[in-house]
Amino acid sequence: MEFEINSKILEKLLSKIIPAIPLRTPMPILENFLFDIKDGLLTVSATDLEIALRTSINIAANHNIKLVIPARLLYDIVKSLEDTQINFSTDGNGKLNITTDKGFYNLSYLSAGDFPEIPVVSKEKEIVIGGNEIRKAFDKTAFAMSKEDMRPAMTGTLMEFDDDGLKFVATDGHRLVKYVNKSFKSELHEQYILPERAIAVLMKLIGESDVKIYLSKIYASFIINDIEFITRLISEKYPSYNSVIPLENENILIVNRTELLSAIKRMMLFSTSNSKQVKFSIAENSLEVSAEDIDHGSNAKENVQCEYKGDPMDIGFNTAYVNDILSHMDDDKLIFKLHSPTKASIIEPTKNEENEDIMMLLMPVRINN
Amino acid sequence: MRTIFHLDLDAFFVSVERILDPKLNGKPVIVGGDPKYGRGVVAACSYEARAFGLHSAMPIRTAYKLCPQGIYLHGHGDEYSRFSKTVKNILEQYAPQIEQASIDEFYIDMTGTQKMYGSMFEFATRLQKEIWDKIGLPISIGIGSNKTIAKIGSDCMKPQGITYIIPGMEKDFLALMPVETIPGVGKVMKQNLNSRGIYRISDITNLPSDYFGTAFGKYGIDLWRKAHGEGPEYLTTQRIRKSISRENTFDNDVTSDEEIKRTLFYLTGKVCQSLRKRGWEASTIDIKLRYTDFQTLTRAKTIKPTDDDKIIFETAWELMKKARTRRVGVRLIGIGLTNFSPLNEQEFLFEDYEVKRKKMLRAVTKVRDKFGYESLMFGRTEEDKKLKGMENYFQV
Repeated sequence: MEFEINSKILEKLLSKIIPAIPLRTPMPILENFLFDIKDGLLTVSATDLEIALRTSINIAANHNIKLVIPARLLYDIVKSLEDTQINFSTDGNGKLNITTDKGFYNLSYLSAGDFPEIPVVSKEKEIVIGGNEIRKAFDKTAFAMSKEDMRPAMTGTLMEFDDDGLKFVATDGHRLVKYVNKSFKSELHEQYILPERAIAVLMKLIGESDVKIYLSKIYASFIINDIEFITRLISEKYPSYNSVIPLENENILIVNRTELLSAIKRMMLFSTSNSKQVKFSIAENSLEVSAEDIDHGSNAKENVQCEYKGDPMDIGFNTAYVNDILSHMDDDKLIFKLHSPTKASIIEPTKNEENEDIMMLLMPVRINN
Repeated sequence: MRTIFHLDLDAFFVSVERILDPKLNGKPVIVGGDPKYGRGVVAACSYEARAFGLHSAMPIRTAYKLCPQGIYLHGHGDEYSRFSKTVKNILEQYAPQIEQASIDEFYIDMTGTQKMYGSMFEFATRLQKEIWDKIGLPISIGIGSNKTIAKIGSDCMKPQGITYIIPGMEKDFLALMPVETIPGVGKVMKQNLNSRGIYRISDITNLPSDYFGTAFGKYGIDLWRKAHGEGPEYLTTQRIRKSISRENTFDNDVTSDEEIKRTLFYLTGKVCQSLRKRGWEASTIDIKLRYTDFQTLTRAKTIKPTDDDKIIFETAWELMKKARTRRVGVRLIGIGLTNFSPLNEQEFLFEDYEVKRKKMLRAVTKVRDKFGYESLMFGRTEEDKKLKGMENYFQV
């Protein structure tokens, strides 16, 4: 068997597949690329059993063969080569010979029999969405996912199709983000939970071009240009988030986002305890944010310009959560819809962009007096 | 120049027992357990009992051999705290600063109060009388220019003594006393010093500080200073609580896993209640294990801050199982919590198991605070699980 390929072309191809190679795994076979050469088409795939990546390229090859090649070693060799032609050949002793105009590299390959099969997702139902649109949806929501394994459903982001549009929801039980893309109205009512790792890899792959999505009960497949990305879905029931979105938050606080964010960043320096608490003391058209570091006996407060009509209240939040929320909003004027110091607050932009709707929900920290 | 009082309640536990039961007056009384069934050590003994050679921290069985006619009591922990608090209340009326060193020991800083109270010696006499008249507890008082000298002072005229070490006379006052008078010098240190020909405190002061520095390091220098009548001059009034712990000496050496587990479970409940009452979470859990031959092990583990009995018990039990490798009886086990942080009162969006449990623990803490620890207990065994209506509430 023998084929040739340009080093830069191969590097570009491998760099897209390598994110699926696990850093540590009890199954050494997963640390390899699968090279499948069939009728002049080279398909390279990799998987960590949770996610898989696959791409193909036409080459001039004289045989059909499947090779399992050490991924990092091959990628590192190819990456360090100059722009040159690489010749691959096998000699039948389980050795792969890589020859360039300058050198000769010899590495062992394994037979493809043990390489796990990459799931095939039915291409019956196809959803096409702009790269920018899906990127924005994850960008707005993914930060709120839970990092604790206690509730597996919350470690992922929900993609929900319904009449209002395509919804993306993430929560860790303390805060929740709901982003709706209204241009995707669907008569189906279906929920899919994408794991955190899948989103991280997707964000690297997605560019401006359209993304094709195929979904099954267990897997989702994304086609981005010439790459196919397949991920296992979290097969848990997502918490019924609609029931925790309050309807009676009538105290309306309007603030300038950047101004509040800048004050919160300073409060973070003082809210060092476990609960990272910042206190919002709100009265008519007045907002004071304050934080205290009891261990070091230091404290800080600032007045932030606002519009407020409603009951005066003192409400505590985790500064890190407030910071996250403010950093993930675009509009410069935000509305906080408040109820009381122990109930969830809604945070929304004053005006949404066309065809989208974003809402964030934040649970307070109980203030100790 | 500071004026520090050290007040030490004489045979405190025994004195309280005598107030509760005056029949005990004049008799050898020992608090610390029943020698017929029990073990453990003498927590306190009356002066009548001390005449038989008894002293605190002596194993109760040894005490019984020396003094079989003694009256052995288990003690009333809650009463001791109550009486201790009453004494503190009296001191608070006079003293600008109080440091409670233990349940029966206080330091007060009386610097600069001579104008108000007159002679410090006479003031001490009045204070001693007031505590005796109002509560009925005997107390010994030492007055000195620092904490160490005041503590030595209070100890040398017990019971109901008052010792005033005139500033500048500290070294002379200590000179003839045996080395073990110095707080911190125990049996081992005493033997070590004696083996070097050092018996009296003056033997220490006659040597240069370097000698002790070389022999015992920082501790040696400290000892040399104490021998010269030096010591801390300011009180630590705001003691930061560093640990919450509980331990139990078994009545008989224990070999059964179940009994150790049950005791650990009980002790865990106690420390967790104390933790939650303060509104804290702990992140380091340690256990203590003492075998029948007094070999003592401690093990610790740091986890995510928590105040939940279940998590703390499971961690402690894992540590205990790992620590207990010898197939001999267990004399004592204990659990301790350290590394505190204020409770994170972040609210939750979803009412799931964890949230319900948090609320449940909050309620349990309140009920126990009001009606006593035993008023509400967690189930633990399979038997508990079978209790009617408990299926869903079985938690730990």
